Amino acid sequence: MPLGLYVSRCSGRVDDVVDIDRVLADARQQAAVVRVFDDLFDAEVQDRMVRDIADAELDCIVLAGHSVDHYVRSLSGQQLKQRLVDAGVNPNRVVAANILEQVVAVHADDPQGATRKAKAMIDVACLRATVGESVEGIEAEPRRSVLVLGASTEGMVAAQRLLQLGYSVVIADRGAGIAELMKSPTIRATVAYVAGHPSSEFLEGAKLVDGSGWLGDFAVTLQAPGGEMTYRIGGILLARPDVTDWIDELRLHFKVDVDDEGRARSIEPATHPAETVDPGIMVVPLRGDVEEVARKVSAADAAAMALVLQLSQPRTIHYVDVSQVDESLCGGCASCVKTCVFGACSIDENGLSHVDVRRCRGCGKCVVSCPVGARDIVNSPHDYLMESIRTLAEVEIDHGAEKILGFLCSGCGYPAADGAAKHADATGEGYPASFLPVRIPCGGRLDTLYVLEAFRSGFDGVAVFRCREGHCHNLVGNLDMDRRVNLLRTVLRSRNLDDSRLRIIDISPSEGERFVAQVNDVFESVGALRKTKGGLR
Amino acid sequence: MSKPRLAHVVLGGCEGCYVSLLDAGEGLVEFLGTVDIVASPILSDDDLTDCDIVLVEGAVTTEHDEQVLIAARAAAKTLVALGSCAVLGGIGGLRNLYTSREVLSDVYGEHRPGDGLPALTSRVKACSDVVEVDISIPGCAPETETIMAALTAAVEGREWSMPRRNMCDQCEREKHALLEHTSEFLSDAVYGLMELDEIDPKLCFLEQGVLCMGPMTREGCGARCTAAGVPCRGCQGPSRLEFEQGGKMIDALAAVLPAGAIMFLDDLVGTGYRFSLPVSMFPTIVDGGDEDA
Repeated sequence: MPLGLYVSRCSGRVDDVVDIDRVLADARQQAAVVRVFDDLFDAEVQDRMVRDIADAELDCIVLAGHSVDHYVRSLSGQQLKQRLVDAGVNPNRVVAANILEQVVAVHADDPQGATRKAKAMIDVACLRATVGESVEGIEAEPRRSVLVLGASTEGMVAAQRLLQLGYSVVIADRGAGIAELMKSPTIRATVAYVAGHPSSEFLEGAKLVDGSGWLGDFAVTLQAPGGEMTYRIGGILLARPDVTDWIDELRLHFKVDVDDEGRARSIEPATHPAETVDPGIMVVPLRGDVEEVARKVSAADAAAMALVLQLSQPRTIHYVDVSQVDESLCGGCASCVKTCVFGACSIDENGLSHVDVRRCRGCGKCVVSCPVGARDIVNSPHDYLMESIRTLAEVEIDHGAEKILGFLCSGCGYPAADGAAKHADATGEGYPASFLPVRIPCGGRLDTLYVLEAFRSGFDGVAVFRCREGHCHNLVGNLDMDRRVNLLRTVLRSRNLDDSRLRIIDISPSEGERFVAQVNDVFESVGALRKTKGGLR
Repeated sequence: MSKPRLAHVVLGGCEGCYVSLLDAGEGLVEFLGTVDIVASPILSDDDLTDCDIVLVEGAVTTEHDEQVLIAARAAAKTLVALGSCAVLGGIGGLRNLYTSREVLSDVYGEHRPGDGLPALTSRVKACSDVVEVDISIPGCAPETETIMAALTAAVEGREWSMPRRNMCDQCEREKHALLEHTSEFLSDAVYGLMELDEIDPKLCFLEQGVLCMGPMTREGCGARCTAAGVPCRGCQGPSRLEFEQGGKMIDALAAVLPAGAIMFLDDLVGTGYRFSLPVSMFPTIVDGGDEDA
């Protein structure tokens, strides 16, 4: 499978620490095209990639440089990925190797270790690009209708903008709705416009009781005093980040990233303030007690605009995360049904596991719970994770150092590891290069087999960085993992394995400094263990 | 055309698999008419010579077992591993939780067996860990019909393998709560069979709070234990060797039965790895401790 490997010097930051020639010494054996640039986001560089895709018939692209999240959350990253996909590469085969935030930035004082680690990170990304199956998107014309949750000033302003642009709007309110707002002299006209519009509908005393689908094609069931009603809509707009009643109900059906107070968080406050982890759910970007109407209006505009940008596209594409069940293996034991918090798994009339893709949020818990391996998740397949553990285990480390495998959940652990780069830039404080990270979509994706494989293949310790209680995008993926890990611990204790070799660390995306401290702490305790008890064998 | 030449050997096992084979009765007589038996510990102590099919029962537990297995492989065109000891290491494979020194001193104390007895291998191994295996028939013991079907295939030169879904596929017990989307465990505790006042004869054992290895276990046995009112003990091993039963038991059941209660089961390792420890990753990990003798 022809692979193109593009390495970014990140304007010299990578070269400062890492010997790129050594990193790429063996790369030409596995990649058809290997190129090094100052910056992968330059227009000429992207043109070059597109030409390579055509000339060398590339199926897989590995972009070594920035964090994986950069390609999801930054405009330039999104554009680059889109160009590669438009040029014919399957989106599941465009993979980032994070050698900036998780290597050079945090191992600036260890060029040798950083070089070896960078090479391994690229090897793992190449593995991921080639092992992952190609995915097909479900394409549809987006529904030009929006559900606004909360009839606040912000909700009404956003609704008015959407109605003016030709969208139909359902406004659901927990309480009595708009009577209060009608008294406000500044907002009364807007409220009256929305209320009187033929394409608007109001629901008072409403609750969200069911939800499925994705950007462009959601189905949401609301329960109001008049009964239950299901709406087919293209997007959802949270009138305030702190409408926690709505958020709690949304989280049972969709991915929503929340902070300590349970308020919805945007993916990137600076550049994508209204966008949440679900591309079809926008939040009005306002924090705290804001009285000024002007600020409410502009924040509502931002959220409405973000949604319009999505829903005005001629087509939206949803990529299904979960693979088809392997019918030669599935015996219908229903472990997946019990573990899926979104109710996406069921046993069909043939006694086989079935996934309702409209409810699947791609956490991968069903993959872990399946005792026969009948199902997989396309963005982090089982074979890839097993093989990447073995690949990372082979990284040469300094004599006497410990080797720790870090599983980073994509919701909190991985962004915290990226945040560690900022802390290291500011203070020079990093952590040992023999901490080798693997990204998993959710703590709930952690299979006991991965921990066993890590110890078997020579890691001295395993650290799992996952969301705090109440923060998991998949509601309880973190707690499910805790249950599994605690059970595994009782098994491992029979091998004399000390609990400190297998650590669960809860962390928030913003806690870069704490990430550094925690990694160093793991090294300290595992190192102490080695001195007193000797190593694993 | 001459008949295929069949040999069979016994390694570390209880020979219960051969008892299951004998249950074939007239079918066995018929089958024996289609082969020439060239070596069998029941008939003689003949060395293995060139043969078409060799049937291996038992796990590799001693250095002698290892030599016999290697000789069997060299002599035969088709090697059939019969039973869970041969395929998975079997129940005797639980010895891998200990060093062979610990095992010997535990069993014999001061009075070690004298010279002339073959030395124990440091670990019990499945046949496939030593030689290439052509046909695997897991089960403790495998069903008579299954053995006959596999042997007939071997004689006719066909490929044969067990179906590989999990045991639930063949189990007739009904599921209700398991099929519902709730975050509740199926039971408030984990019970031993004898702790239940009443055993529902039709309901899935997991739904009655009884740990059943069915989900982690390969089908092919006809789910006779669960039909007879006994939860699956996992004797057929995992559907795929790389998905080890004990680890997957944790993965699968952590959201099904109360994990806290599973944790305090008397013998979690023995429950999950009862028949397949030698083909699992878990026992190969040891923290500190003495090197094996």
